[in-house]
Amino acid sequence: MGADIDSGSQDHGKKSPGVKKQKKASAKVDMTPMVDLGFLLITFFIFTTTMSTPKAFKLNVPVDTEKEEEQTEAKASGAFTILLSKENHVYYYEGQLLPDASNFKSTNFKDLRGILLDKKTRTPEKDLVVIIKPNESSNYKNVVDVLDEMTITEIKRYAMIDISPQENELIKVTEGSK
Amino acid sequence: MPKLKIQKKSTWVDMTAFVDVSFLILSFFMLATKFKPPETVSVENPKSVSSENVAEKDVFKVTFDKQGRCFISFSTDEEAKGRVLNMLKVVESQKGISLSTQEKARFISYSVGGIGVPFSQLKSLLSLSEDQFKTFQQPGIPIKDTADIQLYDWINALLVGNDNRKPANVMLNGDNAAHYPEFKNILTAFKRNKVYSFKLITAQEQVPVGTPLDQTRKKP
Repeated sequence: MGADIDSGSQDHGKKSPGVKKQKKASAKVDMTPMVDLGFLLITFFIFTTTMSTPKAFKLNVPVDTEKEEEQTEAKASGAFTILLSKENHVYYYEGQLLPDASNFKSTNFKDLRGILLDKKTRTPEKDLVVIIKPNESSNYKNVVDVLDEMTITEIKRYAMIDISPQENELIKVTEGSK
Repeated sequence: MPKLKIQKKSTWVDMTAFVDVSFLILSFFMLATKFKPPETVSVENPKSVSSENVAEKDVFKVTFDKQGRCFISFSTDEEAKGRVLNMLKVVESQKGISLSTQEKARFISYSVGGIGVPFSQLKSLLSLSEDQFKTFQQPGIPIKDTADIQLYDWINALLVGNDNRKPANVMLNGDNAAHYPEFKNILTAFKRNKVYSFKLITAQEQVPVGTPLDQTRKKP
């Protein structure tokens, strides 16, 4: 029986008279309880522990200044504004918002990266500034996603600013018309 | 006619290999993981490409969930404990609440999971036993109304009590579905206390291939 040392159950057959055969105890150990215990501990550790350790995303916010001269003026040609709304809707416009809102466009998180990269290649680095304006109904995930997008596309200058009533109105009109 | 012998096969299965594997997995889990800290509120963090690990010492953490509840918590190291005691002294004098030594000790132990009550309910929260605390639904620190962001007072007390020494790690732990206005109010509460640097707790995500960040990270 292979490499088993055990012979406990096989020594029927030849019985030489007078020779007392020493009963060999089986070397096999029933490991079922051990396996049971092992798996119990595995399940315990799986349930009580966290596998993926959370990561820290650094966020530095600028000092709010009331003084006009201390505020950094964004060059219109390098400005890129992202507006966030409910249900992961993203809107954007380049430069300043035109009065007829013809440069106000709608997009989603998937396409946003391409648009940002395109803008990045078209603009000198010192002029490029991305303005993020989340509206009342956007959620925290959207904000972090956009900030993360800044890291991914390596856009160094970006700011989070309150949305203006005019932009809010535009979003409302766009969403209402769908 | 020779008897057809049907050999009885043993039902014994060699489980050694099985045991080996199971204990290997067991030891992996024992070594590779950490225990979950007790949480009074569960949040699902957004993802980011950041690869920096979350610090564990001298932490002041603000948690906010999708219902707009806000909680503060501290790490358990000695430095953070000292900060909490200093903060409570200021809270006592500013808010006219007097806390016993036992209540302060409770604050420290409960604050690991998160404390989220208005100042008016602080005293009654700290009178709860540990078992009662576990089942108690905290309403959260008021942050929704911009005129009454009580989180501001907590941060203020924390800084005033500690000679304006900021905690080394100010962390924001937000839920995916938390609303932006609340997040903004939390940032405002910090800004008004001249705290401008945060660490957002996020889950890790792979850097998308081909993006500028991906190219920078691949450079030797």
